[in-house]
Amino acid sequence: MTSKRIELIAKPNPAHFVGDGFRVHNFIPSYPGLDMKRMDPFIMLDYNSKYAFPASSSPKGVGVHPHRGFETVTIAYKGKVEHHDSAGGGGVIGEGGVQWMTAASGVLHKEYHEREWSKTGGDFQMVQLWVNLPAQYKMSAPKYQALDHEKIAKVNLPEGAGIVEVIAGEFKGIQGSASTFSPLNMLNTKLEKDGQVEFTIPADHNTAMLVVEGSVRVNDTDIVPTDHLALFENKGENFTVFALQKAVVLILSGEPLNEPIAAHGPFVMNTRAELMEAFRDFNEGKFGYLED
Amino acid sequence: MNNFRFTHFLTSNAHLDRDLTDQILSHCSRKEVRKGTFLLRSGEKIQHSFFVEKGLLKQYAVDKKGKEHILQFAPENWLMADRESEYFDQASSYFIESIEDSEIFYINKDLILQLAKADERFIAFNNFLLHRHIRSLQKRITQLQSAPAEERYLDFIQTYPDLTLRVPQTHIASYLGITPESLSRVRKELADRHRSHS
Repeated sequence: MTSKRIELIAKPNPAHFVGDGFRVHNFIPSYPGLDMKRMDPFIMLDYNSKYAFPASSSPKGVGVHPHRGFETVTIAYKGKVEHHDSAGGGGVIGEGGVQWMTAASGVLHKEYHEREWSKTGGDFQMVQLWVNLPAQYKMSAPKYQALDHEKIAKVNLPEGAGIVEVIAGEFKGIQGSASTFSPLNMLNTKLEKDGQVEFTIPADHNTAMLVVEGSVRVNDTDIVPTDHLALFENKGENFTVFALQKAVVLILSGEPLNEPIAAHGPFVMNTRAELMEAFRDFNEGKFGYLED
Repeated sequence: MNNFRFTHFLTSNAHLDRDLTDQILSHCSRKEVRKGTFLLRSGEKIQHSFFVEKGLLKQYAVDKKGKEHILQFAPENWLMADRESEYFDQASSYFIESIEDSEIFYINKDLILQLAKADERFIAFNNFLLHRHIRSLQKRITQLQSAPAEERYLDFIQTYPDLTLRVPQTHIASYLGITPESLSRVRKELADRHRSHS
């Protein structure tokens, strides 16, 4: 098997606020070379790098907004997020936890810093990903997978090199905790200093790695610093990650859906007509109702 | 050939030819304005109409209590003008403000007046735009006089399909002439009706 090499290393774009609670660097789709087609099925990646929020009596966040046609995956590294939706669901994503929301035919939701956490504030660090759904599932029923840190499958690496949390997909024969609609891997990898791990990922998967903490060397050649994202070539299957310092990296890979994308704001469909329908359905209340 | 929405607007709606659209464009300036920029303030006089290439404008009056009443929104491909000031040389009663970072074509009044004398294609186009605008104002007056809040809202989402995601509820309520609480109620009732049907 040949090695998978790095195609580009993206430095974080200037941060912007989503609502007043998420200070994010957008990588997908705005960074040159990381557009929706190249990263298919990952259509959006916002990264809230570690940022200290001051104490606040009213929780900061994002008010009611709709989604249709894809899944949102929120990975909490620091801080806590509380969410509510129009189907009556809700919950708290704690540190190390993942919320996998299949918006599919449509939900309204809102996300805020958890009320108690807000009162003290502190370091906040999150990843939010949008994972596109295959056309046949875009209008299926919405659902949630709440994955607390304890519930996520884990693989201990040999020689105490670290641990791989298999959020979705597969690593060393261990299946990921979240179910997905297309083949993909989402591996949260925690390495001790000088720890090394090798990944084997199909050549055709669009593959990226976000360095959340520390810095790493990939394939003995490329150094990827904190808060940077590396995109891999669609050639070769294997790559190694070596921790120059204690590090946390998020590995993402997915088989491209190769379907047309019609996207506007919070709706990602296949055709323009479906997009117009999404706006009409949202405006006419077909996504339900949620108090701000 | 440039790729401005404005060029497309002129060629596709009025079937104006290249020479005329080039002439119009060469007499317009394109400006990038940040969110919260005033293109017109009440009391001022203005020499321009605006075409929104990208972003969003609102035109509104402020009453004696300081409350804002939104007359019109102008997202991409819309024109916005204050006729009172531009064509009647009176101090304006309105504010025009960008509510997103925007790219705006400033269309000089003299250009419009000159073309309206000289070019039949432009005259026909300009008349069409004016009639369409007056029609929508007539409809809006009748709605404000007599239509229930839900009907006003349904008409709003037809006119501006994506604005519910771009502006706060308070802006929509102001445009509809209802309270934000009434707007919430309308949206909740619509959602409930869909839920009970599904």
